[in-house]
Amino acid sequence: MSIIVDHVNYIYGADTPLAVAALKDVCLQFPDGQFVGIIGHTGSGKSTLVQHLNGLLKATSGHIYFDGEDIYDKDYDMKKLRSRVGLVFQYPEHQLFEVDVFSDVCFGPKNLGLDKREAELRAYDALRRVGLPDELFYQSPFDLSGGQKRRAAIAGVLAMKPDVLILDEPTAGLDPKGRDEILHQIKQLQTQTGMTILLVSHSMEDVAEYVDRIIVMNKGSVLYDDEPRKVFRHYKELEEVGLAAPQVTYVLHKLKEKGMNVDVSATTIEEAADTVLQALGRR
Amino acid sequence: MGIVKASDVVYEYIRRDDEGNVEGITTAVDKVSLDIRQGEFIAILGHNGSGKSTLAKHINAILTPTEGTVWVDGMDTSEEDKLWNVRQTAGMVFQNPDNQIIGQVVEEDVGFGPENMGIPTKEIWERVEESLRAVGMYEFRKYSPNKLSGGQKQRVSIAGVLAMHPKCIVLDEPTAMLDPSGRKEVIRAVRGLNQVEGVTVILITHYMEEIIHADRVFVMDRGRIAMEGTPRQIFSQVEKLKELRLDVPQVTLLAYELKKRGVALPDGILTAEELADALSAYY
Amino acid sequence: MLRDITLGQYYQTESVIHRLDPRVKLGGTLLFIISLFLFDHFAGYVVAVAFLGIVIRLSHVPFRFMVKGMKAIVFLLILTVTFNLFLTPGRELVSFWKLTITWEGLALAITMAVRLTILIIGSSVMTLTTTPNNLTDGMEKMLKPLKLFRIPVHEVAMMMSIALRFIPILLEETDKIMKAQLARGADFESGNIFKRAKAMVPLLVPLFVSAFHRANDLALAMESRCYRGGEGRTKMKPLVYQKRDGLAYLCIVLYLALSITAGRLVWMWI
Repeated sequence: MSIIVDHVNYIYGADTPLAVAALKDVCLQFPDGQFVGIIGHTGSGKSTLVQHLNGLLKATSGHIYFDGEDIYDKDYDMKKLRSRVGLVFQYPEHQLFEVDVFSDVCFGPKNLGLDKREAELRAYDALRRVGLPDELFYQSPFDLSGGQKRRAAIAGVLAMKPDVLILDEPTAGLDPKGRDEILHQIKQLQTQTGMTILLVSHSMEDVAEYVDRIIVMNKGSVLYDDEPRKVFRHYKELEEVGLAAPQVTYVLHKLKEKGMNVDVSATTIEEAADTVLQALGRR
Repeated sequence: MGIVKASDVVYEYIRRDDEGNVEGITTAVDKVSLDIRQGEFIAILGHNGSGKSTLAKHINAILTPTEGTVWVDGMDTSEEDKLWNVRQTAGMVFQNPDNQIIGQVVEEDVGFGPENMGIPTKEIWERVEESLRAVGMYEFRKYSPNKLSGGQKQRVSIAGVLAMHPKCIVLDEPTAMLDPSGRKEVIRAVRGLNQVEGVTVILITHYMEEIIHADRVFVMDRGRIAMEGTPRQIFSQVEKLKELRLDVPQVTLLAYELKKRGVALPDGILTAEELADALSAYY
Repeated sequence: MLRDITLGQYYQTESVIHRLDPRVKLGGTLLFIISLFLFDHFAGYVVAVAFLGIVIRLSHVPFRFMVKGMKAIVFLLILTVTFNLFLTPGRELVSFWKLTITWEGLALAITMAVRLTILIIGSSVMTLTTTPNNLTDGMEKMLKPLKLFRIPVHEVAMMMSIALRFIPILLEETDKIMKAQLARGADFESGNIFKRAKAMVPLLVPLFVSAFHRANDLALAMESRCYRGGEGRTKMKPLVYQKRDGLAYLCIVLYLALSITAGRLVWMWI
């Protein structure tokens, strides 16, 4: 179910004097089963990009291939695409509307034309996967806590059984505890189901320890596309575009400048501690 | 007595079910006492539901205590005839930048508070100008708030409070909905407020890196004050912070990890520079 | 999509008309509309068109921009013309099937069409040259006497200006929720009218929830900034009549006199 983005351009308000190029000649490939972080600050084009992947926005020029088929072909089934590429928007709890959590999660599968039984089975499965306790299933979604609402909303997309799951800033507005729990759950989901997951975020530190690959967006273009430790090598350039590498990267680089023989590619606390101790011991 | 003083403040609210029957009583703030001096920079930390926002709303007299007393500049917030004086003395900035801007033009929004206070027109203009300059938003005075970034909107909100010439500003998670660069912008403006304008600042947040410059930090948990001290004192208790489900900055975690493994480092390291310096001295 | 709907479409430029006090523009527009129904001679229309032409010229708003706004009411115009054309009794002009057009009907239809067109262009000059904010300010001040009848003039004006501030935010939000539901396979476009109305539920419920939430937040924010109604409030931008406003009033009165007497003047001329 790979996705190929081929020279995609997108111009906002194309036929008005206020036209802005939101995506500039973006070329990307997303192979099966990868966990990808898409990083950029507000206005970098990262949200615009992911809305192209399920056809909510149409590129001004360029092509997008899903599973080998061009999604801009005249008779391409957009509705089907949207069920296979699930997109969870920022603050997804704002889309909850049903009387109880369970019915809300059923909304997606029902729209796919599934019968009641199948829709409910999927809803149940999805709610379990996001770790929402059973006793909340029949509560009004508006009575849940912030973190629970968000899980319910994610389940709403998950219940469509997409092959690719895109989450646009799934941790925005949550506290550290809520953030860690959600990210953990997403990682678990990825290892259990092997689905492709694209995680859009403005925080490197948040995604660094979870993803296999990081795409850095800036001003509508792809700035870096590599595994995390290689991307963090450019910590000075990242700073210039308003992003930051994880703090340990800074410490290690500072130590290196001071002549200590540390491995600057370490990204987690453990790795950093190891390399610092090694450098100290080797004195 | 300081500018804000709370003694044994308790705030309880009654939970009701759909039919309006009482389900139980929740104690959101539980016997909190604090005394804040004029000109201090105070940070209140805690995860969602720790009672920090409820406590903050007491300082602005949006809520009044069930038990105990809150004084703002010597005025008891429960006395109704002091209400507007209290609100004028202790201004408040909220979380969502969109939901607290009233004016359709930046300068008109900043003028809203002074207008309500009955300040003469000429003085309103002076106050608007100086407040917008203090947060670095003067060039945007003619803009529509809808055209601004999140960080800029929050700075406008701060200016709106500043124009009322308060002695104290309470900021209730002003950065929770912003991206990293917006967060930096706002924190810089808040620090300026405290250092240049001499306004007492009470910053409520769950981001640890924002409290580094505070004079004193209170950590709240389950409605009580769980920790109190300078940032350095707080950061040196990594285990306890983790227990309270707070986000310890990576630098502090790394220092803690190294110490655990036998590197003699000073307590409560806050920045990458400090850690690098301490380590290279060791080296 | 939804963002194309613009309300009170203010046209940003510099002109005398833009700088006029909103009360002058409100009062002037009202008098102008009344005048259209007072005169009954074609000469009155000539005066009205000439007056409007001068005002438009002074406002620096391109005429084609105004005509674009007219498109929306073409339907209303056609409806009025048709009704007058066929339903006015009098001397027969032409007759086919069951319909008859009379001389009187034709005359009435033409005057109605002209009247409506002038009326709409005339009032659009006001909205095009006055910011919504300014307009609410003007209304508040003009309607102040109504307070005696316990009409909450200040509150209504405040509500209008808050609504104007939040319309773009709520439109954007609608767009976002719509996209989110589309991503969950929602279908807003196919099916009959009932099906489509039902499809709006997943859009409207979240929108209302969010609007109430925002209202609550906003009320808190306003209160914490010492808002307690119009009593004892000062204004950052108070409305003060300038010399040009007096002149404008004079022009309007002159126009009114001229347009009403135009018929008689022409008659005397002959």
